[in-house]
Amino acid sequence: MILFRLALRSHRTGAIATAAIGAFAGLLNAVAYVSIAGPTPADRAAFAHSMEVIGQQLSYLLPRPVQLDTMGGYLTWRDLSTVAIAYAVWALLAATGAGRGDEEKGLSEAWLATGVARARYLLVRMAAFAVAALASLGVTLLATELGTVVAKDTVPVAAMAAELLPLAGVTLWAFAAGLVVAQLVTTRRVASVAAGIVIVALYTLNSSLRAGADPAELGRVKWLSPFYLFDRSAPLLAGGSVDGLASALSLGGAVVLSGLSVWAFARRDIGGALVAGRPGSARPRHVPAADPALRLPVLAGIAQQRGWIAGWAIAMAALAYFLSSLARSIVDGFKDIPAMQVYLARAGIAGYTDVVGVIWFSTALLLIAIFVVAQVNGWAADDAEGRLEMALAAGAARPRIVVERLAALIVAAGIVAAVSSLGVYLAANAFDIPVAGDRLALATVLVLPVVFALGAIGHLLVGWRPRLAVVLVTTVAVISYFTQEFAPLFDWPEWVGRTSLFVLYGAPMTNVDWGGAATLVVIGIVGTLVAIAALEQRDIGR
Amino acid sequence: MTTAIGTGMLTKDYGAGRGIFDLDLEVAEGEVFGYLGPNGAGKTTTIKLLMGLSHATRGRATVFGLDADRDAVAVKKRVGYVPGELPQFGGWRGSEIVAYIAGLRGDIADADVEAIAKRLDLDLGRRYREYSHGNKQKLALLLAFAPRPALLILDEPTSGLDPLHQQEFYGLVRDARTGGATVFISSHVLSEVEHLCDRVGIVREGHLATVGTIDELAGIRAHHVRIEFADAPPTERLRALRGFEGLAIDGRGVSGLYRGSFDELLAAIAGARVATLESREPTLEEIFLSYYSK
Repeated sequence: MILFRLALRSHRTGAIATAAIGAFAGLLNAVAYVSIAGPTPADRAAFAHSMEVIGQQLSYLLPRPVQLDTMGGYLTWRDLSTVAIAYAVWALLAATGAGRGDEEKGLSEAWLATGVARARYLLVRMAAFAVAALASLGVTLLATELGTVVAKDTVPVAAMAAELLPLAGVTLWAFAAGLVVAQLVTTRRVASVAAGIVIVALYTLNSSLRAGADPAELGRVKWLSPFYLFDRSAPLLAGGSVDGLASALSLGGAVVLSGLSVWAFARRDIGGALVAGRPGSARPRHVPAADPALRLPVLAGIAQQRGWIAGWAIAMAALAYFLSSLARSIVDGFKDIPAMQVYLARAGIAGYTDVVGVIWFSTALLLIAIFVVAQVNGWAADDAEGRLEMALAAGAARPRIVVERLAALIVAAGIVAAVSSLGVYLAANAFDIPVAGDRLALATVLVLPVVFALGAIGHLLVGWRPRLAVVLVTTVAVISYFTQEFAPLFDWPEWVGRTSLFVLYGAPMTNVDWGGAATLVVIGIVGTLVAIAALEQRDIGR
Repeated sequence: MTTAIGTGMLTKDYGAGRGIFDLDLEVAEGEVFGYLGPNGAGKTTTIKLLMGLSHATRGRATVFGLDADRDAVAVKKRVGYVPGELPQFGGWRGSEIVAYIAGLRGDIADADVEAIAKRLDLDLGRRYREYSHGNKQKLALLLAFAPRPALLILDEPTSGLDPLHQQEFYGLVRDARTGGATVFISSHVLSEVEHLCDRVGIVREGHLATVGTIDELAGIRAHHVRIEFADAPPTERLRALRGFEGLAIDGRGVSGLYRGSFDELLAAIAGARVATLESREPTLEEIFLSYYSK
């Protein structure tokens, strides 16, 4: 029971954070639907028609749009499919933490040394995650239902409750898959990347089917994708229901994968992978690495994570290319919807170029904010794992640590933003979207003040409360994103929008908000100074 | 004699009696100083204060006349440090960690790294997570000794080292001392402190219990005494004697650690027939344990 309670506690932060994101998204999407679709059946029919045209273009990202003239149809299309992805990502990270992260910290070894059997250890971890995930999903669905009540377009509670089954299926499937992958490699970082690749591959498999790939080609393997199985159920649709077979396959897949991970865990060495590599026969080395970047300020930070930065840059460039290629379809589709015309006008979208500026750069800011959060997590880990102590003991001043980390972050984010903008530029050329190179470059450069501001806030939180820093900086990023998305939709007062770091970025492809950029820089500078003061005050290693 | 480390009323209070309190200590330049105490006594807290990693609640610490807190960066340029808890460098190779720390310090010569790595038989080509605990400790020692610092602050430096490499470590300390370095070793391995150190400070529950040379501690503070009586021992008088710690009476034999005057001991047993009387200086381990049995 103690193991179960501790395992449950290890998922507490993730469960709360994912529930907060899911609840916030559900609440806002439900309320937003009535605003953008309009109040009358005619408005909603027009909205549904246009969105279904656009939805075909977005089928790589979202399920095929059905019944968008109803609240249930809209939530199924716009909200719950995204919520499923968010829960799958959390499940994956939680699994690699439980399956490998705790082992790196020596916790698994300590538990096994007390006489707990390996199978029991892993099964208890799974049970704890299942309880945490169900509670978190329950909060998300409750908030979404609450949103429909607020919007005065309620969906049946039983239908909303039925969503728990397919969402639990995809979440538990992803957790079990993450646990299996964690048995095959030796570090949590590699496990997370490998499990992420598996999840993205299975998501892409489902996306390809939605986008019209030949079902015969993929028919045999499509049942392996938890996202395909999730899409089979749509209880919020009129006449929709939970697909019992798909849900059973999803949960059954989780059980099979769990069994596989228990089997692998029982057979491998603690600290080792299931299949051990051959021992190296290289001659011992007794001299420092020759890489000059490791000895230079800022560049040392970049060199340490070059693979990570390259991965982000390539993935974002691919997404930038894809989203930019949809610019024409989005504008042509939206211009027939009266409510969307108002939204587009408020968001500053008048042409194809603006779509790139608004839709791509808002997505890019969110992704780069996640990149910043990952860096903040790394800074907190530097403290907890003794690397900061070693750097300080080597004579690095505390202010230097702060400034150097932020500089490395800005350089890394600059590389990612520049490469992704190259994707935008190539897509614009390929799909004949007028995008001025100098404007694109300026919009890319102006991402950096956002990175600076968010990074400085993150660092001051690390200096103040390292254990809470990641949660708090994620909250700042999520609120910034949703405020940016919904302020124009609900016509919120301007000052509310100005509390969002993303709103301060504006839409520089169309109109540069120099005041917003200056505010971001000021936030960055003040945040840096407070971060330095916070780190100066702290005792290191406690 | 120049002072390498000086503290005055140095205090770090974590609450509930944890921390280090009113520490007054001086370590001379060129000295090898052992800082002894069990887990939780305040050794690592003292070291973090000397390294400027923690801020004192009150009092001050100086290193070569520099304030350990205010001038922390200048201090650390002159210090080689082995932390009590080894850092985690994950997938970095040993050679990359050395290059990174060398970049931060700016005073580590590749030749010194190579010499120490060979001496400790440490392969820098392997990834940190593949290192055993002993190899991680060797890397920490390499990073501390390679800059040839004026002061070495070593927190439990031989943790995880096998006896062969412990000898190499002793050699490194001797060489550093020959080169003029001061060494401050925190440890609870008494044999190593006895082997290496000129002076020893014993810390107990956050307070410095005593400081002295090995000889002073062994000769002045206490003697291990065993007396065999020909008849029944004068039990009452021995029990009344001050400074007889751990007095054990076994038939006609009496033994214990005696801290008092021998005149008083002889007076206490006057009139009794003594068969044998042995008195020897206690080992450092016995002294150490006697401080903790109080």
